[in-house]
Amino acid sequence: MSNLSRKMSSRKDMMSNCSRSLLAKSALAATALLLLTPFGVVAQSSSGSSKSSSTSSSSDRWLHVRVISSDAKGETVRVNVPLELAERVLPTINKDRLHDGKVKIDNAHVNDVDLRALVEAIRTAKDGEFVTVQSNDSDVRVAKQNNHLIVHVLDKQNSKKSEVEVKVPMKVIDALFSAGKDELDLVAALHALSGQGDTELVSVKDHENTVRVWLDSKNVTD
Amino acid sequence: MMLLAKAALGLGGTLVLAGAYTMREGVIRVDVDEYRSGGSHVHMWVPAAAVSMAMHFVPSKHMRHASEQARAALPVFHAIIKELKKYPDADLVEVVDDDQHVHVRTHGGKLQIDVDAPDEKVHLLCPLSALEDVTSQLEERSPAA
Repeated sequence: MSNLSRKMSSRKDMMSNCSRSLLAKSALAATALLLLTPFGVVAQSSSGSSKSSSTSSSSDRWLHVRVISSDAKGETVRVNVPLELAERVLPTINKDRLHDGKVKIDNAHVNDVDLRALVEAIRTAKDGEFVTVQSNDSDVRVAKQNNHLIVHVLDKQNSKKSEVEVKVPMKVIDALFSAGKDELDLVAALHALSGQGDTELVSVKDHENTVRVWLDSKNVTD
Repeated sequence: MMLLAKAALGLGGTLVLAGAYTMREGVIRVDVDEYRSGGSHVHMWVPAAAVSMAMHFVPSKHMRHASEQARAALPVFHAIIKELKKYPDADLVEVVDDDQHVHVRTHGGKLQIDVDAPDEKVHLLCPLSALEDVTSQLEERSPAA
């Protein structure tokens, strides 16, 4: 009887030792696993962030500037700015003539031209050509077409021609002059621009550079 | 053995929590290599959360000085960072010529600046949330605030 109880007790001890050892081993394994987890989390978060990082929504409007230089260095500059970002950031810049997203101009006169009166005249005018100059040196055309102000200049002075085309929606021009008498409201102009469809605003081509400024919903340059 | 396992579990758990907290905002990476005699080679890898935590321990005198120096630029910088957070993956500026490449973009909610030139290489990667934390703290500690 005492032999049997001794055997049972030793078996119990063996089992207890065995389970303790198992428990300790699993605790150590769990610790090792836990210690390795942050690396996994970091790896997952970095890959997850790249996966989950959304592209900008289709309603976002982007202003793109691209300058391609055809000189020896072949420089290319691409700038993509979300219009909303520009709208929010401009009012925070207070430097020289720029305050609260508005630029001060002296009495709305530039080279003795009353800009405000000129804009008002263009705004109320019907579509048509306002200025057409054709000479040996250059061709200039200023027109209003489909609620856009179009300025086209072709410089023929040199053997290497240069061409400038500016196309600005009238709503943007209205917004630009919507501030006080001697101010241009850049933020209002950007806001008006964001309501426009995909459009090319500025195009400059000469023998050295090609400059393009345009608006669309893509967050990358072509 | 059991005691050792318990201690290891406790230590492991603490380290995991500390690691997860520190890494929650990602890391700031700075790599600068100047290829000229005496040029510097800096390679830094810092948890972003550690930077904003460490800023709490900077003496207020130095913080005030820093925020005063950056006072004019802080609102602009803060506005840019806040807005950039809405565009986690975007190419902002890219300048390429025959031997240089400058690229500024957001990638996975981080601001990434890469400059590859023959004489130097600079790669900077910083979570936008960390930049926002830093500017917020500087703004809070500015004398005008």
